Amino acid sequence: MSRKPNRWFPNLEWVLLLVLAAETAVFTVTGDHFLTASNGFEIVRLAAETGLLAFGLTPVIKTGGIDLAVGSMMGLSAVILGGAWSSLGLSIWLAAALALSVGAAGGFLHGWLITRLRVPPLIVTLGTFSLYRGLAEALTGGYVSYTGFPNAFIALGQGYIGGIMPTQLPIIAVVFASIWLFLHRTAAGREVTAVGFNASGARFAGVAVQKRLVSVYVISGLCSALAGLLFVARIGQAKADAGTGYELTAIAAVVLGGTSITGGRGTLQGSLFGLLCLILLQNGLRLSGEPSEIAGLCSGLVLLVAIIFNQAWTRAQKHGQVAQMRAAAVPAVDSESFSMKNHQIAILAAAILAGALLIAGTNFYLVRSMAGGARAAAPQTHRAVIALTPKAKTDPYFVSCKEGADEAARELGVDLLWDGPDDPDPARQNEIVDAWITKRVDAIAASANSPEAISSVLRKAQARGIKVVTWDADAESNARSFFVNQATAEGIGSTLADEGSRLAGDKGQYAIITASLTDANQNEWIKYIRQRMAAAHPGMELATVHPCDGQRDKAMSETKAIVRAYPGVRVILAICSPGLPGAAEALKQEDRHQVQLTGLSTPNLCRSYVEEGWIQSVVLWNTRNLGYLTVYAAYAVDNGDLKTGDSHFTAGRLGTLSVAGDQILLGKPFIFTRENIGGFHF
Amino acid sequence: MKPGKRELTLAGAIVALGLLPLFGVPGFYSAGNLRNLALDNLPMLIAALGMTVVILVAEIDISIGSLFAVCGAVAGLTAKAGFPMPLVVVATVAAGAALGAVNGQLVTRARVPSIIATLAMLAILRNAIIYATGGAWIQDLPRDFQWFGLGQAAAQPAYLAAGGMLFVSGAWALRQTSAGRMFYAVGCDHEAARRVGFNPPGVVRAAFILMGALTAVAALFSFTRYPTIETSAGQGFELQVIAAVVVGGTAITGGRGGAVGTLLGVILLGMIGTVFTFLHVNPAWSKAIQGAIILLAVVSDTAVGKRTVHV
Repeated sequence: MSRKPNRWFPNLEWVLLLVLAAETAVFTVTGDHFLTASNGFEIVRLAAETGLLAFGLTPVIKTGGIDLAVGSMMGLSAVILGGAWSSLGLSIWLAAALALSVGAAGGFLHGWLITRLRVPPLIVTLGTFSLYRGLAEALTGGYVSYTGFPNAFIALGQGYIGGIMPTQLPIIAVVFASIWLFLHRTAAGREVTAVGFNASGARFAGVAVQKRLVSVYVISGLCSALAGLLFVARIGQAKADAGTGYELTAIAAVVLGGTSITGGRGTLQGSLFGLLCLILLQNGLRLSGEPSEIAGLCSGLVLLVAIIFNQAWTRAQKHGQVAQMRAAAVPAVDSESFSMKNHQIAILAAAILAGALLIAGTNFYLVRSMAGGARAAAPQTHRAVIALTPKAKTDPYFVSCKEGADEAARELGVDLLWDGPDDPDPARQNEIVDAWITKRVDAIAASANSPEAISSVLRKAQARGIKVVTWDADAESNARSFFVNQATAEGIGSTLADEGSRLAGDKGQYAIITASLTDANQNEWIKYIRQRMAAAHPGMELATVHPCDGQRDKAMSETKAIVRAYPGVRVILAICSPGLPGAAEALKQEDRHQVQLTGLSTPNLCRSYVEEGWIQSVVLWNTRNLGYLTVYAAYAVDNGDLKTGDSHFTAGRLGTLSVAGDQILLGKPFIFTRENIGGFHF
Repeated sequence: MKPGKRELTLAGAIVALGLLPLFGVPGFYSAGNLRNLALDNLPMLIAALGMTVVILVAEIDISIGSLFAVCGAVAGLTAKAGFPMPLVVVATVAAGAALGAVNGQLVTRARVPSIIATLAMLAILRNAIIYATGGAWIQDLPRDFQWFGLGQAAAQPAYLAAGGMLFVSGAWALRQTSAGRMFYAVGCDHEAARRVGFNPPGVVRAAFILMGALTAVAALFSFTRYPTIETSAGQGFELQVIAAVVVGGTAITGGRGGAVGTLLGVILLGMIGTVFTFLHVNPAWSKAIQGAIILLAVVSDTAVGKRTVHV
């Protein structure tokens, strides 16, 4: 057994190459158009921002530290860029430079707190995790989103060099090369390693430990700020919620790449492989038509198996070393039994890994061949694939839309793909749509989290011959053929305002419980609520807008505090689906009959509160019908039954609906009250 | 029990923050508001007790946000299946403890660093519950699910008493019993703890099992306040709980800290939002202020004097 550490793969990074090879093999079979050059470049684009974070994090983790604030720094950098460009009127490149220097300053603050005040990195960056994101929200009030950036800047995130290579590729290649040289080819890089193994030892060996530590955090801050800029360029808008949740994926990529979380060990190429393993898994499963939670689940499993394997192998190696030393002194029998054990552990671990991938592979293959068999048995007609993306998958509103979509897909005999981000995240929604383009589905129906962000990918889909409609929330009108319109933002806002004012008796204060302060939809509704109140109900005055972060529990505690802290509030408008039942439970527990409650949610979630009189009314359209109609519309556009200029459209059990221009109208928002809610089940 | 420097700093910060509402809208110090604050932060306090133990043994558990949701789903499904409420409690706590045991096994037997093992569990459990439920809430629960059928008036004081007793006995056991001290011993020095006869891997496993069980209890305290189960609950819970524990002065290097500091940390972080609501501060600022307070609290005692310097 060789004692010399492998030069390129000192921490078993070659295992990841095996995983990558296995993933490629499996997804080439199961995914549509997985092994194509354009998908390869798409993966680069997907990996760019997380990659920058992971590359910046590698030196940090190698010193035994951690930086949880990288995702928050992306948000801050995005907001600084947008603010400096739009409000201060700086040129976009100057604004970008300013954002990068804020990133460096943020990293310096980490380094300073860690070295001077001796606060552990985990705690420092847990604090700045809130602080940076909070500053980004405070600077924009959460709701401002900067758009309309110059084309030269947008090209950084959406452009192609030579028509095929994404602009991000050279950028991340340069960053990778510089950090790689720093980490593996300079004295400073050796010092990083030494600090990670033993900070005190390094100090006695003459390393300026504090200076080294500050420098790695500055690098991490710079990389996060750059990732924020690329993020803005990719989705075309700068908002405070950029990069939410990216830190965990980046950390997972680094540790998967063999960097020891306790410091000392790790290579940058390892982080790259780790990152590719995770991104390939995500991309391949999407192209195989699996929902994104399967990718999340598998990422967790791969992380566990890889680290367990790595630990077992490292331990086996150590045993082997001990055995060799003993072998020099005592009879060889001992070492024989030791090296047997090494091999056994190694083989066992490898077998587990191979087995896991094999099972995954055959499962997909089986499912696919069964589906293929069914297809072959049916008459030789093409079964259309219609892909719907909601704004957020776990939102009960969209859960009930999906029931209708499933119903329509069964009636029409089409394959329905349903996938969206966990929370209303425009960047992830773009990634999902991008994968569908590569997969070449027949029609895409999108409920846009951000019109600017989604339109760029929808136009790309149209250019590749995929039919595009939007539903629930529209994109730019040249990015789709039809919009399945349940109600305009203005209609929702006005209805809510009228309803709220009616309940309050046209006089008094009102409070709003929104999803999160950065939620584009809710912010649009709030705008129209305020406009309508000011125009038609001058007696009504807005007391406050509180976010519940899309969580019922927070909606309840916020509502309890609001009814006490704002005694003048006569009516509360809770405008997200978990928020309304949360607010209702708060009024019930507080026993506040004099505060009226209305808002937007699904009847099922609110039924008991409406019947008990805690919610006076729920404003909503029939979400089940909305999902149903969307699938019918996408199907009709795909096979040519619905063309521009049609004035009527027949959609299954909904009968004939009118088409106004490029909008298919579902009908007016409906107001559910105690009298009629019993008749609705969705 | 002599209060440490961090506890004094925190108590000072709580008093200072507690004075602010006197200049705002009256009603912060009404019995109802204080009861609401206590009830709403009870789940966080219970989970933070478990996290204190985990951090004391120099490990960390970032899977509890997902674990929280899974425990809620277990409670909801068993109640819906017709289990009587005591059995629902047993099943939920057992599920939490079992998942905690998985974490413990990964850390001690497979030697996966706890931050990685629990990061993987965070992803696995969260995605599993989305896959299983599709984001739908668990509805049509039996009537005695909410407040254990006690009715709100009786249940609220009962919850506070039960939660308080659980926390006080846990804090006492951690400080005063040899079983509690073994967590400190192992956190200070595995080898020394082993030499005096403890089994460090066993102790670490016990810490994770305790964490899982207490997360389940926290989930019960939280979800039984509602008539339905929100399956996407608990996102970001882990970071709030860790923040409360480290603000409370428990060292992430293990062996130092305790439940009193954690209680103060939970009070401080739990009251910030409500205090600023009563001051009519724009909620857009609340996250930034919270981050600043976390940083101030953790740097204050090292900045003032360097007596507790480690490294």
